[in-house]
Amino acid sequence: MGFFLETLLGGLMAGMLYSLVALGFVLIYKASGVFNFAQGAMVLFAALAMARFAEWIPQWIGIDNRIIANLLAFLIAGAIMFVVAWLIERLVLRHLVNQEGATLLMATLGISYFLDGAGQSIFGSASYKIDIGMPKDPVMVLQDVFPGGLLINKEDLYAALIAALLVASLSLFFQKTSTGRALRAVADDHQAAQSIGIPLNRIWVIVWCVAGLTALVAGMIWGSKLGVQFSLTTVALRALPVVILGGLTSVPGAILGGLIIGVGEKLSEVFLGPYVGGGIEIWFAYVLALIVLMVRPQGLFGEKIIDRV
Amino acid sequence: MSGSTIESAMAAGKAGAGPEATRPATGPVAPLPGGKLIGDVILDVKNISLSFGGVKALTDISFDVREREIRAIIGPNGAGKSSMLNCINGVYTPQQGRISFKGQTFSHMNSRQVASMGIARTFQNLALFKGMSVIDNIMTGRNMRIKSNLFLQALRIGPAEREETAHREFVEKIIDFLEIQAFRKTAVGKLPYGLQKRVDLGRALAMEPQVLLLDEPMAGMNLEEKQDMSRFVLDINDEFGTTVVLIEHDMGVVMDISDRVVVLDYGKKIGDGTPDEVRNNPDVISAYLGTSH
Amino acid sequence: MFYRENGQFKTSYRADQQIFPITQDRWAVLALIGFAAIGVPLLADDYLKSAILVPFLILSLAALGVNILVGYCGQISLGSGGFMAVGAYAAYNTFVRIDGMPLIVALLSGGFFATLVGIVFGVPSLRVKGLYLAVATLAAQFFCDWAFLRVSWFTNNSSSGSVAVSNLSFLGWGINTPTSKYLFCLGFLVVFALMAKNLVRGAIGREWMAIRDMDVAAAVIGIRPMYAKLTAFAVSSFIVGVAGGLWGFVYLGSWEPAAFSVDRSFQLLFMVIIGGLGSIMGSFFGAGFIVVLPIVLNRFLPALGSLVGVDISTAGISHAETMIFGALIVWFLIVEPHGLARLWSIGKQKMRLWPFPH
Repeated sequence: MGFFLETLLGGLMAGMLYSLVALGFVLIYKASGVFNFAQGAMVLFAALAMARFAEWIPQWIGIDNRIIANLLAFLIAGAIMFVVAWLIERLVLRHLVNQEGATLLMATLGISYFLDGAGQSIFGSASYKIDIGMPKDPVMVLQDVFPGGLLINKEDLYAALIAALLVASLSLFFQKTSTGRALRAVADDHQAAQSIGIPLNRIWVIVWCVAGLTALVAGMIWGSKLGVQFSLTTVALRALPVVILGGLTSVPGAILGGLIIGVGEKLSEVFLGPYVGGGIEIWFAYVLALIVLMVRPQGLFGEKIIDRV
Repeated sequence: MSGSTIESAMAAGKAGAGPEATRPATGPVAPLPGGKLIGDVILDVKNISLSFGGVKALTDISFDVREREIRAIIGPNGAGKSSMLNCINGVYTPQQGRISFKGQTFSHMNSRQVASMGIARTFQNLALFKGMSVIDNIMTGRNMRIKSNLFLQALRIGPAEREETAHREFVEKIIDFLEIQAFRKTAVGKLPYGLQKRVDLGRALAMEPQVLLLDEPMAGMNLEEKQDMSRFVLDINDEFGTTVVLIEHDMGVVMDISDRVVVLDYGKKIGDGTPDEVRNNPDVISAYLGTSH
Repeated sequence: MFYRENGQFKTSYRADQQIFPITQDRWAVLALIGFAAIGVPLLADDYLKSAILVPFLILSLAALGVNILVGYCGQISLGSGGFMAVGAYAAYNTFVRIDGMPLIVALLSGGFFATLVGIVFGVPSLRVKGLYLAVATLAAQFFCDWAFLRVSWFTNNSSSGSVAVSNLSFLGWGINTPTSKYLFCLGFLVVFALMAKNLVRGAIGREWMAIRDMDVAAAVIGIRPMYAKLTAFAVSSFIVGVAGGLWGFVYLGSWEPAAFSVDRSFQLLFMVIIGGLGSIMGSFFGAGFIVVLPIVLNRFLPALGSLVGVDISTAGISHAETMIFGALIVWFLIVEPHGLARLWSIGKQKMRLWPFPH
């Protein structure tokens, strides 16, 4: 029982990280109807930027304080993501405004390839570390309830906290600020939003920036946990079924979907895996999303798609 | 509610050869020579009710359509006319009521089954296959009748080739009938609206239907185009004996070419009878008929 | 000015319906096939044949299959790599486990098993479309990845995880030289391209395109959406499976599951989009583009780099390739979303009118 709970908790933590990446997808899709295949590449790009700048800043300015170096690196990486967002809107999105979904999907795929190559050209392709001071040691809890207690990774705990903070601040942003209101208006109806004077292009830049920031936070946490390397882009591919499960247009769906997939993956790997040869993590999320799609084509929380003739 | 004298006369004459009905000779469309034989009830709509969530699109609609007649459904915008066609066609499923076609009764129609039983339709918004040429669009109407399997089609020898050519001949006859020969290889997306409507009609005709449902066939057309389309509808009815149910807003057209009219308003039936009866019905006048054509 | 149709009138529907109704086109294509079959083996060197032409032919075949599903029937599929893998491993197992199995039968059986898998993973297309379907097909891809990695029966219990074939022969002729490999693949491509063209211009092709353009209206006309979509998956997977078998047997000789990873799926999709969705010819254009591009970049990037005084390492070249690749995709989608095939037909149209601009 104790082992089961441990696996469950581990899954929840991992799921939280998926949710972070999925959030970026949902944000962009809600506001512009574009499915951003490049989200994973953005996570990697942002993580690379932060990792390298955290290295370079002490060399350039000679500050020895790690916290200040990390903070500066974070800010610079954030600024870089802003530039990336602006460039994407200007060079790509603006020209593809009325194209069909498949075209936009392919365009974001092209962007993801470009960011991959660019990130590794500019920042290098070795494996880098992000050290933001996360405690790496585990902690044992509930030792009186279960023999030996439950093992919880402190780093995962902090990561989950940061993710929760991010989601809370995003929710506040969307609900309470005027920009957030404008974003929700654009997500609802492009033309109506334009007709009341909301500048569509600027909104899209803002959305991609927010997605970029989410990517940065996700990259920071993932990078701190796993190290920053090319395999981070596969994280995006793992986040896709999360988005599908939760529904493309739902923020709570992304969160819940991430948790479900995280838990599901861990549990299935530990309890099912040994019977079928192991390594089922690579397809479990996808097959789960597939099964849900057959029963509920719009995902758990998505909007129903109605076809009119 | 109206038209009971005409209908009882029709019912009385049903035992014999069927009454003759002539068309009023007014308006821009010339009358057809002689009369025509209108047969028994081929399509019977009974107590159909349809709602979407809280919105009631149709409330307890009943009417019948006789073989070889031209039946018009008219009414103000939002009256539920397209929804009615969609129910007959199987696109929508009504919550209540039944539809009888050729003696068989259904509580809801399955689109494909309906198509194979002999009901074809055109669409208000065209619903053409924009990427294909005119020939290919109309050929899709023949797909139900193509028998060669996948393998034969891949090899395209003997029977497959002959079948394709035979269907092509039939489609060319329709293209001749609709006078769109010059555009047969053009992609439909490039054609002007009036011609696209003809292709839509052609695709429905390719199915060799017994009942043709036309959803606002004259919408967006000028006077010449309307005359052409009216001529086509009358020719289809006359030459092929096809029963026509059409939704139309142009009162001149409705009064000229239809044999009987059903009037809907806010999802309810408020008139049913010959064009003259409906024209003089005070309920219809107050709901709808402002100026005459 | 180059109005090729001038003077050619058809007197029967059958003549009007043929694949190449214009006489010049017919001669041109026959000449092209003749040159490919006779001229190329004589003129091309071994490197050209084995490193460029053979992969081009096999990937064209795979792109053809993907185009049928994505371009003609409008169902987005990101699982083509997985179907290639099924074709390759199924062919391998039939070839290796059954004594005296002819090569062609093994390859076709690979296609057959790919068809079965394709139909199973095509069932979601009856419920979902677009992006959701793309994700569903990724499930196929990753499941296949795992199956051929972990289920050792598929790899004949190979300890290294990779499999190899040798001693390929067709009707007594060995398929072991670049020329024989090239001709073998060419034969497959020509036969399959012809059959694919017959399918798409016939009734089932019209059903596929009707589903692509407006599937709600298609049902009203009497088209069965389930039959159309599943046959599209079936035919497409068959072709892709055979291509996978050819890729493993003829091009690679020995392979691991990674040869058919999700990158391969993306590559095939790019070929179809750049070449032209819904166009048989477009599949060839796209495959050619994708095969030739890395080679061109490899040759010219270092030279270009040294012009501006930048020394590009091999890793740098591959990063630059990725960047240029991504940028080209985006550029293509902006400039001509209908691909090279559309550019080709626009070119022919302009040739008709030349020297007039319009």
